Amino acid sequence: MRGKALGRSTGKTLHILQHALIVTAAVLILVVLTGSSVMMNGVDENYSYSLKDEEKDKIYEDSLLFNYIYGRGVADVASMVAVRSQMETNGRFDGDKEIDVASFYYRFEGLPYRYLTVKYRLEDLIKWGQYGFEYEDRWFTSEQADAFLNRTSRYTSINYSPSNLQGSIVTPFNAKMEEITEEYTVSANEMKNGEFHRDETNAKVLLNRCQTTEGKNLEEYVGTWPDYYELCQYVTATASDLNLNYESYLRYKDYYDAENSNLRFYILKEIGDRKEVYTNIDSRHMSETEIGKRFKEYGKYLYFNPENMIFETNTLIEEGTVRRIFNGFEYAYPESIQVWIGVDTSYPAQDVYIQGHNGYIRYVPYYWQLIVIAGVCIALYLGLYVYLTVQEGRALDGEGNIYIALRGVDHIPTECAVAGIIVLLGGIIVSLTYVFDSMSFAFYYEPWFKAVGGGIALVCELLFTGFYYSMVRRLKADNLWKESLTYRIFVTGRQTVWKVYDNGNVIIKTWVPYVIFLAVNAVLFLFGWKGMIAAVCLDLIFGALVYRNTKDRQRIVKGIEKIKEGDFHYKVDEKNLHGDNLALAQAVNSIGEGIRTAVETSMKDERLKADLITNVSHDIKTPLTSIINYVDLIKRENIGDERVRGYVDVLDSKSQRLKQLTDDLVEASKISSGNIALQWERIDLVELVNQALGEFSEKFELKRLTPVMNATDSGIYIEADSRRIWRVMENLFNNIFKYAMEGTRVYMDMKECADGGEGYGYVEFAIKNISAQPLNISADELTERFIRGDVARSTEGSGLGLSIAKNLTEAQKGTFEIQLDGDLFKVVLTFPLL
Amino acid sequence: MTAVLVCDDDKEIVDAIEIYLMQEGYKVYKAYDGEQAIRVLKETDIHLLIIDVMMPKLDGIRATLKIREYSSIPIIILSAKSEDTDKILGLNIGADDYVTKPFNPLELMARVKSNLRRYTTLGNLNTENNALFQAGGLCINDETKEVMVDGEPVKLTPIEYNILLLLVKNQGRVFSIGQIYESIWNEEAIGADNTVAVHIRHIREKIEIDPKEPRYLKVVWGVGYKVEKQ
Repeated sequence: MRGKALGRSTGKTLHILQHALIVTAAVLILVVLTGSSVMMNGVDENYSYSLKDEEKDKIYEDSLLFNYIYGRGVADVASMVAVRSQMETNGRFDGDKEIDVASFYYRFEGLPYRYLTVKYRLEDLIKWGQYGFEYEDRWFTSEQADAFLNRTSRYTSINYSPSNLQGSIVTPFNAKMEEITEEYTVSANEMKNGEFHRDETNAKVLLNRCQTTEGKNLEEYVGTWPDYYELCQYVTATASDLNLNYESYLRYKDYYDAENSNLRFYILKEIGDRKEVYTNIDSRHMSETEIGKRFKEYGKYLYFNPENMIFETNTLIEEGTVRRIFNGFEYAYPESIQVWIGVDTSYPAQDVYIQGHNGYIRYVPYYWQLIVIAGVCIALYLGLYVYLTVQEGRALDGEGNIYIALRGVDHIPTECAVAGIIVLLGGIIVSLTYVFDSMSFAFYYEPWFKAVGGGIALVCELLFTGFYYSMVRRLKADNLWKESLTYRIFVTGRQTVWKVYDNGNVIIKTWVPYVIFLAVNAVLFLFGWKGMIAAVCLDLIFGALVYRNTKDRQRIVKGIEKIKEGDFHYKVDEKNLHGDNLALAQAVNSIGEGIRTAVETSMKDERLKADLITNVSHDIKTPLTSIINYVDLIKRENIGDERVRGYVDVLDSKSQRLKQLTDDLVEASKISSGNIALQWERIDLVELVNQALGEFSEKFELKRLTPVMNATDSGIYIEADSRRIWRVMENLFNNIFKYAMEGTRVYMDMKECADGGEGYGYVEFAIKNISAQPLNISADELTERFIRGDVARSTEGSGLGLSIAKNLTEAQKGTFEIQLDGDLFKVVLTFPLL
Repeated sequence: MTAVLVCDDDKEIVDAIEIYLMQEGYKVYKAYDGEQAIRVLKETDIHLLIIDVMMPKLDGIRATLKIREYSSIPIIILSAKSEDTDKILGLNIGADDYVTKPFNPLELMARVKSNLRRYTTLGNLNTENNALFQAGGLCINDETKEVMVDGEPVKLTPIEYNILLLLVKNQGRVFSIGQIYESIWNEEAIGADNTVAVHIRHIREKIEIDPKEPRYLKVVWGVGYKVEKQ
């Protein structure tokens, strides 16, 4: 196929352009990402913020970004203070703090009017939650149950009065519980026949990991199994929640420590006459006015006092937002709280506000333009992929024809290449994820981060592109499959099997496969019906192989028959033949080839000989013409000398003989090389013999030969070339004229015979005469060239007459046979009847 | 005086032919290749050309083709090539006769004479006569019972005359021995007989220059005899 291919340098340039495009796109995307979004470390998780175009002209503290961070801070503080109120007494962690499990359990929904509860030490509950809860299935007889449980349950009820109905939820964290609750006991009323009785039962018992503040076990507070289970649920839920809250308590406390954060907060809770303060500033000996002043000094602040409906701020945060945040933790906040939350805009701590600030000042203004450029790069890159995929591998050979040039990498087994690329790219991606996760955000904004990103993109792209184009070349060269490991194993296996088969002896070729076949069949039958199906499939395959073998053999037999019939050019197709069949086919082909060569050589030799003789005879004829002419001229002179006249006569007759010999020689060689064209006509053989007799009548009279013809008077028709068959007759009659004994009879018999062997009738013409000389040579020799009956060769004649007659007869589908019996010379001609 | 041009690259053969032709009383011109022959033909008034085939410069076949463009003189090709195809080629391109080497000088002279007669004297025959039958140079006058070959009278026996007349009257038609016998002897042919064949051979020997290569009375071997339509 002729066509165009990319020049080497053009192709290389385009490939490099492709790599450059992807690197550009990768760097641009990184620039846009790092320039338009800010990554920040939150308390629980990292979060990002996408900068908006309208923010770009504001100062940082007025930006939405700053307020977003600030809003998160406010929410964090609200939840942290709620947790702290569970954990702390007077601003410090208090492990001995008593926790009322029911009021903790109902902290979000609010307590029912009447409830079971116990109190544990905070530390005990956190530890219990940490270690988990163990239960035991126990069988209780009525006595055991009676001994296990109390006979009464201790309940607590809340006296809701207008003063404590300020919020719907009452907890120890926002109210003074001891003032509004009272305890009472309820007897278990499990009676039978007027006596207290407990049923035997199977109960799930919570193992007490610690005692209550009163030093008792749980079961001692309840009188019935349902009460027991309810209380157990309060305890386990409280313990596991406290355990979780303790972890976040530590985290939040550390995150919002004044050392670590620029956020400042001061929350004052008043529960009755009790005041609780939660802050991260040093606020000792400061009045509320001073605190308010301090917060204003920080720069950005808010003040929230729900009781007096006061909300002050110089940030963008709204009152409703703050209210919603604090309402979310209603259990921890009474109406009478005062909240100050501010940001120290001198930023003494390296925290999230600094991260935000860094991101904000690096904001990339040409956001959309860069995205468009990156998009164009990617589009060009993909377009180049399409174009280069079409061009890939094409190369021109010396004549300008296209072929697919393969490279070294294209010979890596396909599976290895696929696996390799997956491992390499996958490895890079996975390790990048890890590096990315553990990396500080500060690096994102460094220029080298983009360079490294571009570099990594280039490496990945080079790997993938190399792999991809290799696959494309393989597909084009159609050896994706051939280069695969599977294929190589398959081919090697097949070759090995054939090698063993081709080189093995008869036993290896027949018995070994047969025994393996039987054994496999037997083994397969052991596997039940699935095995049987497999065995049937195997047998079918085997049958197909046997069929193929027989078919191959048939092909060879056909070849042998073709060669036998004379088609020496026929070749048995040796493709896909193996073992004995291959050897057989090769032998047949070489025999056929040998015969063909032999036949062609001999034909060629005969033709060359005929041509040579013809050319030589032309060359002889010219001087012979002069000889004949001048001998004739001499004869015309009046030569008196009798002897000289005798010499001239010899010259005359010998030159005439030479002429005859030349003509006969040419004719004989032509006939025997098959170099004559016959013109087939309908010939009456009887007429021909009569015509011949007419022609020879005077010659026969000269030697007093009497022809005796025995023939039917009707015509006997054959198909022959009239001039050639005349030549046969002429030669035969001339032969008789020359060699028959004078004064004898010449017998000629012509008869039609019914069957010529192939279903046609034939005519037999026999001509007999008595030889003048004793015939001391064989009949076969007489038809050899240059053989004459008289060994002395004293008579005239070329010795080719009978040879020519025989060859011409055979050329006209006849037979020519000479029989000798003493002096009887008999020639039998047969021709198929028309 | 009749002029004959002999052209052959073998000088001895040309000389020998010259001797024969001079003995017959012709004026002889000689050429040794085709170009020479054409030159001589242009310069001299030549009545007949004997030309060899295989010659240097211009061979006999090409020379004949060129000469035939402007001249209709008799041309006899004299060649060592004796194949049928050679003869057919020679006669087809315009030669009047084809003689193979080595040739019989007497036969060549006879052919020269025959061709000259036909070229110079024939053509003014009275064809109005109903009793006159002609086939090429062969002419039979049934009134005078005379047979002429190329203007030379030939003597035939009555049976020979009748056979020849039958064949000339039906030129181109092949008569078998039996048919000839029946129409001449007016009786049915009995058995195989070579009488007719013998007569035919005698006629050929009288009217043909070379009885083995007859021009007029042709043998169709195994079928019969005929006079070629000319």
